[in-house]
Order: sequence, then structure tokens, then C-alpha cells
Amino acid sequence: MDVPEELRYTSDHEWARTEEGRIRIGITDFAQDALGDVVFVELPAAGTAVEKGGPLGEVESTKSVSQIYAPVGGTVVEVNGDLAEAPEKLNEEPYGSGWLVVIDPSDASELDGLLDAAAYRASTE
Amino acid sequence: MILRRTLLFDEHVRSAAKLVDFGGFEMPLSYPEGTIAEHLACRRAAAVFDVSHLGTVRVEGEDAFDRLQAMLSNDLRKIGPGRAQYTHLLNDEGGVLDDIIVWWVSPGRFDVMPNASNTERVLERLGGTDVTDTRAVLAVQGPTAREVVARISPEAAAVKRFHVGTFRFEGADCLVAGTGYTGEDGLECAVGPKGAVGLWRALVDAGAKPAGLGARDTLRLEAGLPLHGHELGPGINPLEAGLGWVVGWDKDHFAGRDALAAIRAGGGPSRHLVGLLTDGRRPPREGDRVLEADGDEIGAVTSGNFSPVLGRGIALGFVPASTREGAPLRVELRGGAVPARVVRPPFFRLDPDGADT
Repeated sequence: MDVPEELRYTSDHEWARTEEGRIRIGITDFAQDALGDVVFVELPAAGTAVEKGGPLGEVESTKSVSQIYAPVGGTVVEVNGDLAEAPEKLNEEPYGSGWLVVIDPSDASELDGLLDAAAYRASTE
Repeated sequence: MILRRTLLFDEHVRSAAKLVDFGGFEMPLSYPEGTIAEHLACRRAAAVFDVSHLGTVRVEGEDAFDRLQAMLSNDLRKIGPGRAQYTHLLNDEGGVLDDIIVWWVSPGRFDVMPNASNTERVLERLGGTDVTDTRAVLAVQGPTAREVVARISPEAAAVKRFHVGTFRFEGADCLVAGTGYTGEDGLECAVGPKGAVGLWRALVDAGAKPAGLGARDTLRLEAGLPLHGHELGPGINPLEAGLGWVVGWDKDHFAGRDALAAIRAGGGPSRHLVGLLTDGRRPPREGDRVLEADGDEIGAVTSGNFSPVLGRGIALGFVPASTREGAPLRVELRGGAVPARVVRPPFFRLDPDGADT
């Protein structure tokens, strides 16, 4: 299972990457493997305000529906529109082309409360 | 509860399958390539499934025919030894206790194959011997399934649809039937403990892609085939499910006949099972409400998912019997109601370009 060292994680299997003050968000390799083939992704529109730990969207596979929660609060500033027609990117590249949204955080220090790679890896074992 | 394992369990573990509890068995859900790749392999070429979790209840003897004929809904006089038949075991209200394939192996021997979780119930009603643990059943399905099987046994590959035959594999006698649950042509092979792993590997080497229960479910749904516990059950009769052809009306008696006859005399069932094609990729799910265009609730989804062939949502569900093909309905998905059209399955044979609602 792939758990990149430079990312931060939630116990709900989201990852967060800091990019010039903004936070890119996706689901982990562990999550995509557990879900199986992803066939549909619902994401908020750009401009939507989200709360830390609040609902961010839904990922549906051939076998189940999973909620995605926001690792940090703030405003959604970018949405991965490619996922509408190619949700399989979540399975193929969960840390790359399968990213979900970019959030402009209202309080960047919320990131400090997330898990580091070692702690996340331990939580999945 | 301790889960049962099939003769192929170690083979699934070696193939890095994801395992899942199904009907008391620990079964492969999918292999590393995933459900959709397995699904498409079955539609385009060939896939092999371990379906050993299906029961085999062996009913033998001079009275075997009469016992089955008196209990099961379909009429065995339509077939004969060396043939297979789809049939139902009904309760007194006409509800479906189980849907079953009967392999009429030889004049006095029937191998009755219930759903995994219903094997006990079927054994109680029919008698016979539960021989489920003595064999594996391998389903080879898809447009090239027969070519794959022919590389191992030409005589097995020659067994026609809904026929039953025998073949030898590694010195052992095996049974084969031209049956399946995918909407594709194919064969199901019953093999004993000695040959099970060898036959699985031979089929994979001959070009069949291993496929798990995830693909088995999306394939049967895309073919519009009912699953017990969803489209069939003790509270659902075969007439509602559109399976009137499994009712042997020419027989004077079988369990549930009087109830079905009363329904028929009363003008037929008030609801019926239909296919629903939804807009967009979001999969309908069991329990989702089916609405008329003006918003009234008229039914519910019994099974739903994403169709890999059509690239959109599909479902089966019960709606009033007056609801006709082509009717514009809506299905209430988690994100809101989406347009849905009543269609006649199999879904995978619909024209994807002409399928827009």
C-alpha cells in the first residue's frame, strides 16, 4: 500500500497536500483499494464553504457508497472535473490525477492535527 | 460463525482475491484487476467463476421424478435425462422460497442446485443428500467460453445450452451443464476434490479470466436476471417477477399452485418487475424509491448498479402492472431524483446510443 511521506492524512482515509497555502485533497490508496472500482464521484461546486470533518462529497463503487469528509475547513476553490467521466482515475492514481478538490483553508493550522504518514500507515494495519 | 471454504479457496488466496462472506462461504469478491475488468472480460471473451457455494442436493431413486414434480413449480416433462431446467420452490402463498437449476443427470438422478443460503430449506422440502462439499462448480462464461473449454475437453465444450453431460478430467468423471448466470453462453462444470484446482488452472491458462462475486452480480443485473433475496423471495411470486414460464400449469399439483391460479384468475398480479435505465453514471441502489414523472411514489429498486457496457445506471424494481415499457419515471438517488425509463432487459443488448431517456 502506497502512503507518500510528504502528505497528511485523516483516519477516514483522506489525504491533504499543501500547495502554496492551499490544500489539495484526495482519498488514499488504502481507501481506493477497499472501495473497489469507482464508478461515480459527487463533489461540491467551486466556491462552496466546507467545515473540517464535514461532508465533502461521495464516492460510489460497484459495491458501495462512501462519504468523503473535509480534512480542513475553508472554501473549495478547484474541483477535479475529469472525474465526472473518468472516475476510475481514483483507482489508478489516488495521489495524482485522482485528486478531488483544492481548498483555501480558513485556518491552515488545522493541518497540524492530521496524521503523518507513519501514523496513518499504523492506523490501517 | 465459521465460514465455509470451497475446494478452490487456496487458489483464490494465491491469486490475491479480495474475499467476502456470501451465504456462509468465504468467497472471492474480485481479483486484482477489479470487478469492471472481470465484467468486460466476460462480455467480450471468457471469465471463470468459482460458484461452488451454490448447493447441490442429490435426489435419487425410482420416486425422485415424482418427488420433484410434486414440489417444484416447473414441469419436468418438458425436459428429460441429460437436460437442465430453471425452476422455483414456492410456499403455499406462491412466494419463491428459492430459485433453482435442476440438472437431470440420468433417469433416476437429479442434482438440484439451490442458492447457497437456501440449501438447507430446499433439502428439508425435497429430501435427498447434500453433496455440496464433495465438489467444486466452475462457471465458464462469455462469447469464447466454449473455445476455452474445448482446449481442455471437446466433449464438455459440445454440451448445448440447458443440456447436461459428462467428461473426464485428469482421470476423474465430471459433470457439465450448458447453464450460467451472466446472460452469455457458457458452461458450468462440477468436479471432485482431485481435479478442482487443476481444472481451474487449466481454464485460466486456456484464456478464461478469474472473476469474483462482484462481477457475477453486475453481469446478472446487466442481463436482467433475478437474484433471490432481491427480485425473488417468500413475499414475491413468479408471476410478479415476469417468470410465468417457470410455472407448470399443466401439472395438477405443486407447492403454491392454488395461490398462483387464484392470482391468475383475478387478472394477474398488481405489480411487476421491470428494468430501469437511469440518466447518468450514479448507481441506483436497493431501496431507492421509484417515482412517476409527477412525483408520486410507485415502487422501489430491488437491485441497482452501474452498467459497465452502457456506462450508466441500471436497476430492477417493482412497479404497478399498468406501467408500460418506455414509461418516463424517476428514481430517487442519494443526490436527488433522476429521470429513468422503463426498458426490457437484458440491458447490455440495448443500443447505448439510442438509450438516452
